[in-house]
Amino acid sequence: MDDFLAVAQTDEVDDPGSMLVEISDRLVVLIHAAGHWYALDDICTHDGGPLSEGPLDAAEGTIACPRHGAKFDIKTGAALTMPATKPTASHDVKVEGSQVFVRLCE
Amino acid sequence: MTSTLAPTGFTQESFDAFLASLDEPEWLTELRGSAWQRFGELGMPSGRDEEWMRTDIRLLKLEKFSLSTAASDVTTPPALLAEGVDLGGQSTSVDSHGTVSFLEDSWASRGVLFGNFEAVIAEHGDRLRPYFERRLVDPFKDKFSALSAACWSGGCVLLVPKGVRIDQPLHTLSVMSNGGVDLSRTLVILEEGAEATLLAETASTEQHGGGLHCGTIELIVEKDARLRYVNLQNWGDGVWHFAHQMAHVGEAAGIQWTLGALGARLAKVNQRVALVGQDAEAQVNGAMFTQGKQHLTYNTHQHHKAAYCRSDLLYKAALQGNSRTVWRGMIKVDKGAQRTDAYQRNDNLMLATTARADSIPGLEIEADDVRCTHGSTSGRVDDQQLFYAMTRGYTRQEAVRMIVTGFFQQVFDRITIESVREALGEAIGRRVRDIGE
Repeated sequence: MDDFLAVAQTDEVDDPGSMLVEISDRLVVLIHAAGHWYALDDICTHDGGPLSEGPLDAAEGTIACPRHGAKFDIKTGAALTMPATKPTASHDVKVEGSQVFVRLCE
Repeated sequence: MTSTLAPTGFTQESFDAFLASLDEPEWLTELRGSAWQRFGELGMPSGRDEEWMRTDIRLLKLEKFSLSTAASDVTTPPALLAEGVDLGGQSTSVDSHGTVSFLEDSWASRGVLFGNFEAVIAEHGDRLRPYFERRLVDPFKDKFSALSAACWSGGCVLLVPKGVRIDQPLHTLSVMSNGGVDLSRTLVILEEGAEATLLAETASTEQHGGGLHCGTIELIVEKDARLRYVNLQNWGDGVWHFAHQMAHVGEAAGIQWTLGALGARLAKVNQRVALVGQDAEAQVNGAMFTQGKQHLTYNTHQHHKAAYCRSDLLYKAALQGNSRTVWRGMIKVDKGAQRTDAYQRNDNLMLATTARADSIPGLEIEADDVRCTHGSTSGRVDDQQLFYAMTRGYTRQEAVRMIVTGFFQQVFDRITIESVREALGEAIGRRVRDIGE
């Protein structure tokens, strides 16, 4: 697996908030919610919609696709509601100092 | 010879340097200028547009590419479609610069124009001007059509005068070096009663090579003319491929347009056929084979503008790995196009559970006496067929290869040019060898 790569500064993403980042030719949505950091592929598995442009619900722990409203678990990438049925990829995140790192998991 | 790059990407400075390197008529420079202005005004297509929502190009960085002002010194890959064919003419371009071109004297003496664009324009610009000004492909349609209209170079032009029937295929090859840019353009004009076969293919110097292709194909088939046009897209799997393609088919004229799509990291192609004269006919064949993370999007449009026309489209795709194809087809029948007979079909063979095919046929019919039908299928290799083949001694891989070949046979059967059938079959067969599932 790839090593962790620095993708953002902690103060670049509000809590709650999200940011689109490019890692090794891949689009990833970096999520900051309830003090924790998560990273998912920026692709709704239903129709390819950009999750980074969808609403984030920090209390519920979900992010929704802006096209058809499919919700994904921000921790695991699991598809929680229709019309998505397959998970989107979830990646490892760590914070060191003010730097956020992501390691692609697949 | 080495590659010479204009200063920085697609900037005003690089465009000015590009124009200065050309020796073209003023009217053509003006056409380029208006398209360039539009290119600057238009933003990149958005995922919110219906046409682009299944084709994510956010990772494309246009600024990483530059206009090339000289051909690269590369080894030209073999021309698959020309193998064993007695050609009447051939033209080759590398990174959008014409390098080699010939036309048999027997055709040149009958008024046929064929060759690299730069050379033909320099000598016959006024003859070609009306066809440029018809603007079959709208240069202002989107950012890529504008870029192509402003900065095109390389590619080929074919003009067959009235009544001339070329019975030898002509061939054109566009080559791209790794990381290169190909902005080639194709213009084919068959005047009344003319006939020709043009085999066009693209290739990268490296199988995994990257680069950018942004091109235009315009095919004009006048009354009673017949064109067979074959287009094999075989770029490296790191290439971004954007193309606008348009054919106008006149009264009682016919086109057989066969397309093979094997390469490119991401392809977004608009392929349109307009039947503009009564009794015109179009047959469109497509064969796609994708693997890895390839993403190929083909938007096809069969536009019936006149009565008694026939169009028949068949697209077949086989998908491996995490690849994805998107086909959006539309049959549009104008109010006056009565007695239209139109068909479109898309079949997808899923060779991996991780591949995805989107198939979206559509009809828009304003006439009330027509026959318009469409069909779409997507499925995996039939387990019973596999089992049967394996009981006859084939390995699983051999059986899959045989079934995939059979899947494409319906397209191959429609191709009357043997070399094309063999080249497409061989290119697809090579890909099937690596099936892992």
